[in-house]
Amino acid sequence: LLAVVLCASAAAQEPGRIAIETYRLTNGLTVVLAPDRTSQVVAVNVWYHVGSRDEARGRTGFAHLFEHMMFQGSAHVKKGGHFQLVERAGGMVNGTTSEDRTAYYEVLPSNQLRLGLWLEADRMRSLAVTDSNFNNQREAVKEERRLRIDNQPYVGAIAEGAYALADSATCFPYAHSVIGSMADLNAAKTADVQEFFDRYYKPGNATLTLTGDFDPAEVKGIISEYFGDIPAGAAAAPAECAATYSTGQIRRRWPDAKATLPAVLVGFRLPEYRSEDMPALDLLAMILGQGESSRLNRAVVRERKLAVVAISVANPQGPRRGPGVMLTLAVANQGVTVDSLEAGIMAEYRRLAAEGVTAEELEKVKNGYRTQLITQRQEALFRAEALQQASLYLGDPEAVNTAWRRYLAVTVDDIKRVSDRYLRSDNSLILLITPEASR
Amino acid sequence: MIRQSLLAGAMLLSAGVRASAQFPPTPPAGTQPVPAPFPPFQEAVLPNGLRILVVENHQQPVVSIQLAFTAGSVLEPEGKEGLASMVAGLLTKGAGARTADQISQAIEGAGGSLSADAGNDFMTVSSTVLSPALPLAFSLLGDAVMRPTFPEKEVELLRTQTLSGLEVERSQPDAIAQRALRRVLYGQSPYARSPSPASVKAITRADLVAFHRDRLRPGGALLVLAGDVTLAQARRLTLESFRGWLGTPPVPAVAKAPPVRSAAELVLVHRPASVQSNILVGNLASQPTDPRNYALTVANRILGGGGDSRLFLILREQKSWTYGASSSISRRRAFNTFVASTEVRTDVTDSALTELVRQLRRIGTEPMPAADLENGRNALVGSYPLTIETASEVAGAVANARLYGLAQDYVQTYRVKLAAVTGPEVEAAAKSFIRPDQMAMVVVGDGTKLYDKLKGIAPTTIVDVDGKPLTPADLAPKSAPLPVNLAALQPGVDSLAIMVQGAPLGAVSGRLEKDADGFTYVESTRLAGFVEQRTEVRTDGAFKAVSVKQAGKIQGQETKIDVAFAGGRAKGTATTPNQPTGALKTVAIDTTVSPAAIEENLIQPALAALPWKDGATWTFPVFSTGSGEMRQSTLTVLGREAVTVPAGEGECWKVELTGGPQTAHFWISTAAPHRLMKLTIVGTPIEMVRVR
Repeated sequence: LLAVVLCASAAAQEPGRIAIETYRLTNGLTVVLAPDRTSQVVAVNVWYHVGSRDEARGRTGFAHLFEHMMFQGSAHVKKGGHFQLVERAGGMVNGTTSEDRTAYYEVLPSNQLRLGLWLEADRMRSLAVTDSNFNNQREAVKEERRLRIDNQPYVGAIAEGAYALADSATCFPYAHSVIGSMADLNAAKTADVQEFFDRYYKPGNATLTLTGDFDPAEVKGIISEYFGDIPAGAAAAPAECAATYSTGQIRRRWPDAKATLPAVLVGFRLPEYRSEDMPALDLLAMILGQGESSRLNRAVVRERKLAVVAISVANPQGPRRGPGVMLTLAVANQGVTVDSLEAGIMAEYRRLAAEGVTAEELEKVKNGYRTQLITQRQEALFRAEALQQASLYLGDPEAVNTAWRRYLAVTVDDIKRVSDRYLRSDNSLILLITPEASR
Repeated sequence: MIRQSLLAGAMLLSAGVRASAQFPPTPPAGTQPVPAPFPPFQEAVLPNGLRILVVENHQQPVVSIQLAFTAGSVLEPEGKEGLASMVAGLLTKGAGARTADQISQAIEGAGGSLSADAGNDFMTVSSTVLSPALPLAFSLLGDAVMRPTFPEKEVELLRTQTLSGLEVERSQPDAIAQRALRRVLYGQSPYARSPSPASVKAITRADLVAFHRDRLRPGGALLVLAGDVTLAQARRLTLESFRGWLGTPPVPAVAKAPPVRSAAELVLVHRPASVQSNILVGNLASQPTDPRNYALTVANRILGGGGDSRLFLILREQKSWTYGASSSISRRRAFNTFVASTEVRTDVTDSALTELVRQLRRIGTEPMPAADLENGRNALVGSYPLTIETASEVAGAVANARLYGLAQDYVQTYRVKLAAVTGPEVEAAAKSFIRPDQMAMVVVGDGTKLYDKLKGIAPTTIVDVDGKPLTPADLAPKSAPLPVNLAALQPGVDSLAIMVQGAPLGAVSGRLEKDADGFTYVESTRLAGFVEQRTEVRTDGAFKAVSVKQAGKIQGQETKIDVAFAGGRAKGTATTPNQPTGALKTVAIDTTVSPAAIEENLIQPALAALPWKDGATWTFPVFSTGSGEMRQSTLTVLGREAVTVPAGEGECWKVELTGGPQTAHFWISTAAPHRLMKLTIVGTPIEMVRVR
């Protein structure tokens, strides 16, 4: 009874509303302002709506390599100046690249807000492209690839193998990895950088979001002064992907010279993020593989002792405008073969198909989802990211205040429907990761 | 004149007007920072010795809870490493009247989380919940801390998972490096120890019960709450959920101190086929309460504390050796540790380590430039608001000050004291606490490629990933016969054109035939004006050479080989060019041939019959008939490449052959049957491409 009472009262808790003002400059730049003056921190966040999905064949990894070039200087900023100026002002700065977008941010003490805006405006209007900077960053990215993928266990299967879910012939944008191949990184040319900049780094292809401690009236003036006269440029053609579902199971061995224990990666093809099916699929991934009481943890890790860890996530690298993925990774316990681990996971998918989920399970993950959402609202940078996501993937930053209701409205029947539709064997990829003894 | 000056004035004016509306060419200065007093918090000590710390923030309906004990891994008995982590893991796996599943269902059902973790010095039980579920979180927390049941079934499950976790760690280069650094840096001190399969297997249920009973006591423990909660509420919930909780942990025996190092020392952890080297160097630094820590923090910031630091700018931005390079000061209760780290590609490991050490030396020996000091100090002072943005960050800062026994007003005065640090103070702190000549250095990477380059940098010992000592001889790759799949040895012809700088100057053809006795391989080489040669190798059914006959001319001189193999010996004569002069020499051959060896002319036809895959590498014994000597060669798949040759195009493995007189690169089609598509001799302009 106590638990029921608690759930009922917990359900009354909603994430605090974020007050938002959205407008567009004449050159097409979308500006989203969400002031919150309770801390002395401000986040400046620019998303360019370009990512690995826009890469040409033979140039995989280029969007991310380009992201590095955005730190190599611009008309008024010298190479590496972003790090220097922002850190000396007490801020932090970085960039990230996914399939769909390239994000740049500065988090600053609020008295340094102008600096963040000036830096973003300078590189939106001009980028310093030289052979030596390009070669230097190409090497940094190659080391990043070695560090994060080539020298690590299991990561190759997730960061590269899982892209086999998309058909390279009909949907190349989502059929190759963000980090790209070493051969393509080597083949990239300095001239490609300017061309990419001219094509995608236009005000109309970007959204500038500010959250935290600032005065909106003052900030609008600064934004218009810094960004207002950047030429609009022509819109780039969107990436094309004809998504295909249930085209047959792909099942293959994935030898991993760095792994010491076998593992299994299971992937399913999902719809684009704005699909009505996504809230139910996100919650389903939580029921399956997030938390101590998740199905995979209870059955595969705890009861059958097949895995040391088993997790499921929808779109682990962030949402997509095109087709998404749900991935499950389980690492075997010592002495467990890859085949028995696979069988153990598949038993849970069969159980899901046969029995669906319970109302208690659904209520649990809705509460967990709400806690996550509320916790993440506490930092200016996370609020800015949430606004960017709502803007790009749901078409309106205001969705940050409403989209969570879609999650709370999901029913047990919805879960059954999406599970039947997407978590099918003929819609899946299975990678059987086996340790390969190295020299 | 007047007109000119007027014109100039007008131009200046218009330029001035335009400039004011134009993009500013220099970075805007910050406005006056608003004074940022440390946010308010409240503290209370209960009669049982438990200290409660509350940071209120009612903006979002969420509370984070942390309950910290001085119960870290340094307090584990020797030989029971992993005990503190297992106790932490089991606190939520059965407590009070609830089973593990009931606990996780209760907390996660309300959208919260509850877990515990053990570090070096402290064990922390943490929970995050929506504020209406705070009473539930407290009730579960009280059970977990006061009444864990340590069910046998859960103990065994966690033991299995811990052992598997150790196995996964063996595959992670950063985990291997940290473990090795602890061992060398802390010597006999308990901070040196890490769990091993043996220590985890040695832990009994009685050990777990005793550690919990002794260590998880309210005296000296710290309960931290942040978010949508008040001190009065926290006090009431604590009294309810921790009813009857008493006692203070026993004072632990004085632990052995870490060694004082008089010279640098390097440990090379051999991780075969690693594509990068993880470099860690470190030394013991100050006491956590040392007043020089403010200056040391600034020194570290300048050296390796971010994207504006020397290590990042030099190793990454200038040298292109790495994705990242940084340094840090980490706290232990007994001392701080300075560590610098980077991950670099194998072939620049020695250069990167040398440069890293050079930068460590500079910071303590060269006068600190005023600009560097100002930039480093400003970064730390300016960024302070970012580190206390949320209620849980504020609570964490206060909790750390209390747990490490720092001054009562540490959090309130931290920023001011940092801002007052001077150049000479930074130099002095760096000189005292960043000591490159007494560093423990760890490099995790492919020892076969690293040992010779590293041993000159500091006295070097080699260990494997488990810490077992190795000798330089152990690094040599183990030789095994080349795994030729006899069934895949199909009769056929390889025809290659010899290209020199794009011009076809000759041809090589290799024909393999099969009969009842075995195989015959005939290779004809013609390079206009230089080489005209025919080699015939007959083998038995197992592809072991029976005879080698060669005849031909190299630059007009006649060469000849006539060698027969029987009973494990090779007998005959060989007249071949002497390396490197090219003069012919004739040797009488009568020597033992290892049954594991492949005759060198047979390597090329064997290429089609090897179990190729990405990352494949074989080190195998070879008999060179021309010189009558045994040697070792290695074939390694370097990667995949698209190749176009006259015979067609397709994806190939690029393969390197080393160990012979010259290094050669082969391109073998990834599609079966695996064919030799292209061949180059490294360091020569010669390229051979398949024509059919």
